[in-house]
Amino acid sequence: MPVVPLERLPLPSLRVYSFVSVVALSACTYYAAQIIKEPNWNYPGDFDKNDDNFENRNGTDSDGRTVSQFVSDIFTVMTREPVCVWTMINMAFCWFILLGRAVQKLVFGDLRVSEQQQLRDKFWNFVFYKFIFVFGIINVQYIDEVLLWCSWFSLLGFLHLLSQLSKDRFEYLSFSPRTPFWSHVKLMALLAAIFALSGFMFVVSIFVGFFGGLNTFFFMFYEVLLLAIRTLHVIIRYAFHLYDVRNETTPPTATDDNRTLDKRGPVSYYVELTFDLTALIIDLIHHLHMLLWSNIFLSMASLVICMQLRFLFHEIQRKYKKHRNYLWVRNHLEQNYPMATKAELQENSDNCAICWENMDAARKLPCGHLFHNTCLLSWLEQDTSCPTCRMTLNIQNPSVANMEPPELQTDPQENTRRPFNHFFHFDGSRYVSWLPSFSVEVSHVQAIRQNHMATNSQLDAMARQVQTLFPHIPLSTIIEDLRVTRSVELTVENVLDGRLIAPPMFRDLDIDWTPDRNTFTLNSEPEPSARNWDEYNTENVETEDTAALGSRFSKSSTEREKILHKRKEHMIKQARKRYIEKQKAAAVVAKSELQS
Amino acid sequence: MAGSALRRLMAEYKQLTLNPPEGIIAGPINEENFFEWEALITGPEGTCFEGGVFPAKLVFPPDYPLSPPKMQFTCEMFHPNIYSDGRVCISILHAPGDDPMGYESSAERWSPVQSVEKILLSVVSMLAEPNDESGANVDAAKMWRENRIEFNKIAEKIVRRTLGIPT
Repeated sequence: MPVVPLERLPLPSLRVYSFVSVVALSACTYYAAQIIKEPNWNYPGDFDKNDDNFENRNGTDSDGRTVSQFVSDIFTVMTREPVCVWTMINMAFCWFILLGRAVQKLVFGDLRVSEQQQLRDKFWNFVFYKFIFVFGIINVQYIDEVLLWCSWFSLLGFLHLLSQLSKDRFEYLSFSPRTPFWSHVKLMALLAAIFALSGFMFVVSIFVGFFGGLNTFFFMFYEVLLLAIRTLHVIIRYAFHLYDVRNETTPPTATDDNRTLDKRGPVSYYVELTFDLTALIIDLIHHLHMLLWSNIFLSMASLVICMQLRFLFHEIQRKYKKHRNYLWVRNHLEQNYPMATKAELQENSDNCAICWENMDAARKLPCGHLFHNTCLLSWLEQDTSCPTCRMTLNIQNPSVANMEPPELQTDPQENTRRPFNHFFHFDGSRYVSWLPSFSVEVSHVQAIRQNHMATNSQLDAMARQVQTLFPHIPLSTIIEDLRVTRSVELTVENVLDGRLIAPPMFRDLDIDWTPDRNTFTLNSEPEPSARNWDEYNTENVETEDTAALGSRFSKSSTEREKILHKRKEHMIKQARKRYIEKQKAAAVVAKSELQS
Repeated sequence: MAGSALRRLMAEYKQLTLNPPEGIIAGPINEENFFEWEALITGPEGTCFEGGVFPAKLVFPPDYPLSPPKMQFTCEMFHPNIYSDGRVCISILHAPGDDPMGYESSAERWSPVQSVEKILLSVVSMLAEPNDESGANVDAAKMWRENRIEFNKIAEKIVRRTLGIPT
């Protein structure tokens, strides 16, 4: 197990926490029960009710009450006592956490490391922003209000995190061709539930807004809307994906394939664009509203909001430019390059060179190369040359190209990552010795980002530091560990204690490294006396089953994996055998030369 | 997005399995994630890397084949065009827009008609003939130019390690 700094804090485990919560709650209940047993107890609040009940209670005994009355009495007492109220709130939170756990177990199973990391980042980000919202912008004065906002945001945050998690999981699932049907169903059900709950939250926000005023309503409404839009976006993307995958598994007939491709291109593009832009614009309006509503121009909160506004604005601008480029390229394509004729298609019976799929309709470039319309469009968006012969096509969109040509052409992955990590570091001890030092990293994780290998520069630098010490461990493994430990020393310790090892895939082929001896030893072969090649008996490599391995592509993925693994093993064995034989031959030659 | 990339990767995997080029094996490490492959490359004959079997990892972007994959050797490597962490610096893996060294013509760079097979074949020829101009590993480039005997010795050592034979 890697060392987790957060877990080293004396945070109780979930089991202990829920146990303590239950005990505290029962203690309070017992306390309340004791109070109402006292004969002179009465409802402190409802006086009108009190008058007629009082006679009754004196007449009968306190034990004579019905069960439901008893329960409601206890509840009344508990809501009056501050200590009891807090335990009840605590219990509610406990239920909440347990519910989250249950959903996680049911739908997601074990979370992957990157998902955990993503979740933790999102959670703290959310807490940070909402703290600023409640105390910096709304500026609540009473504890009841704080409590109300807290419960609202816990529910909201819970749903946000779940939706984020579903998105991550969906993106991960879409990387695999063999996802079981049930995990799709579960994920879809969860997404639908989140969407339905956001409808419920909308009703709540109307209800609260009715009492709290229009501003409160809008503050709540934006968030609900954002949640709903994001969830719906994932659902729709998911539906597209499932449709796609289903199409892949059924053998594509000619007409079928063509229809999906042509339809999917622009439709999914516009869906994507609309959802992204709507979410961004709503977020922008939300932030503007927050900034303008309260007079907080000169405060920490306004600074944070302005930063967020700037980021949102840039995002919208980027999306807009990208869209303009898209439109321009599409128009250019439609006007200048004709669709290929039937004869041309028949003459050129190849698949589309971009997607490797069958071509029934294609666009023809001036150089004579044919591609699917959508494939070509998405390529020309980023580069303006023929993919096959590299002939430059004159599609420079003057307005966009002049503004920022490199922006449009760099790797989109890089593009979406770079500006989104803000790293603040405050070194208090530089000013006054007792001030604390802290760093806050605000990361905005973009919708398209799936690359869990991606790291920020800090982690990368740390990982390289570790790797200079342990070159045999792949960088990705180190980074995964660093994400958890966040310290070079701890990761190094993990390696030295054997907690962090190279994944088996590499270990089989690689050399085993023992840190204490500082030498390289082999893990597969027993140590032979050096240079005596005769002692190596070259392994008997069965040649007959490799012939069968070579020319088959199995339908089942486990079988494919097995065959691939065997082929790899075979290749290494063969190479080793050849190498040793060659060395033997060289040794024989050397010996005979020596003798003569 | 990922759907069409997945289909294309599946097609490439099929092709590489049915007609594997000499000395090259490639496929997904685990089919749960089809976007991470491992490739085994045999060192080209008649070069200092002859006989070695070099494992490398390929990571594909979600918009593959519009963007190139990233390739990294997972064994120790000493070569002018391979960074010391194993990343491969070769023009075919660079997106048309970015040009870290500032000299490649866009004709050599990534285009969606390239494929895993073509990448791996270019890497094999890169192993045989290092490109002196792009110094991903400056030490290796210098040694390659000035002290070929020492370079060959190191290469020999690496070959043995990949085969699991003690040096």
